[in-house]
Amino acid sequence: MAKNKPLALRIVFWVLAFLALVACNEAGNYVAAELRLPVPGTVIGILILLVGLSIVRRVPDGLNEVSVYLLSHLNLLYVPAGVGVLGYVALVARDFWPIVITLFVSTFLATIAGGLAFQFVQRAMDKSGTDE
Amino acid sequence: MSDIGGDFIIWGMAKALGWLLLTIGFYILARRIQEIAKGNPLANTVLVAALPIMAILIIADEPVSQYQEGGIVLLWILGPATVALAVPLYLNFAHVRAAWKPMAVALLVGSAVAVISSVALGYVLGASIETVRSLAPKTVTTPIAMGIADEIGGIPALTAAFVIFTGIIGAIFASTLFRFTGVTDARARGFAMGVSAGGIGTARAFQESLLTGTFSGVGMTLNGIITAILLPLLWLAFT
Repeated sequence: MAKNKPLALRIVFWVLAFLALVACNEAGNYVAAELRLPVPGTVIGILILLVGLSIVRRVPDGLNEVSVYLLSHLNLLYVPAGVGVLGYVALVARDFWPIVITLFVSTFLATIAGGLAFQFVQRAMDKSGTDE
Repeated sequence: MSDIGGDFIIWGMAKALGWLLLTIGFYILARRIQEIAKGNPLANTVLVAALPIMAILIIADEPVSQYQEGGIVLLWILGPATVALAVPLYLNFAHVRAAWKPMAVALLVGSAVAVISSVALGYVLGASIETVRSLAPKTVTTPIAMGIADEIGGIPALTAAFVIFTGIIGAIFASTLFRFTGVTDARARGFAMGVSAGGIGTARAFQESLLTGTFSGVGMTLNGIITAILLPLLWLAFT
């Protein structure tokens, strides 16, 4: 297992795994820009990594560890984006109530709709016994 | 290069590094607070870390662009970190395959309701067009949502804030909403929370159960991919 490898080697694998993530992201950005796709490059990057993993048919330990670490600290990476709102105080002040009402009502509706839709189809499948 | 110029560049770099370290410091503090608050969704780490930084910027009368010189490093890592979502999606592929029908339906219904209701409400309530465009991708996980906002002419920073508040609202109210509407299936609850409340919703879903959290993570990732592909196309078609 990964834990038995010497630390120096594990660090090398972490760096390589991070570089692989960067490469997927950059490749995604490149493809999106070149093909003028109206899709964020990062999404293409996710798809590239998914294809890569399904070809290799396993997740390398280093990649798994780096991914778990990055994903558990995503909130740190959101902080600058949150602080950025400060640049739009006037706009937020102008549209304050439409924003607040929209955020609450729309989130409530989407949560209920998604939950009911999933449960409805799942129960219909369970009833007809066509589990796949 | 004059000494003055050199000093200026070094001072600028030192300031950027200072903002970066301050952000990390407040984030560590915010995690500690979240532990103490026992995962109360109001003790959201983004919120708790961003508010004091905003206060400092206002008090010091510094422009946000100054702060972003340091923040840009974290924004840059956000791209590769989001690509890492492919790993849990791949590992949970068995779940996806076993429940792909309810997932596909819930994904389409959930993301359509989220996008249509936010655009319609924003428009009817008289929000400006930049605000409406920034609201449209708000259920999508932040980096993807910021990319979508950019594609459709919204303001990425505003979208990021909307995503965060959407996540907090979803995390706080989801279980109550599910109780009133009779959504008892753990998979359905998790998936819907991931679709409607993204990463923050997923963190909350893991508190309910491992199964709920796993489905929430899958919902969040699939929602990000599907909305990123469909929303800009729809926007192009209707504008």
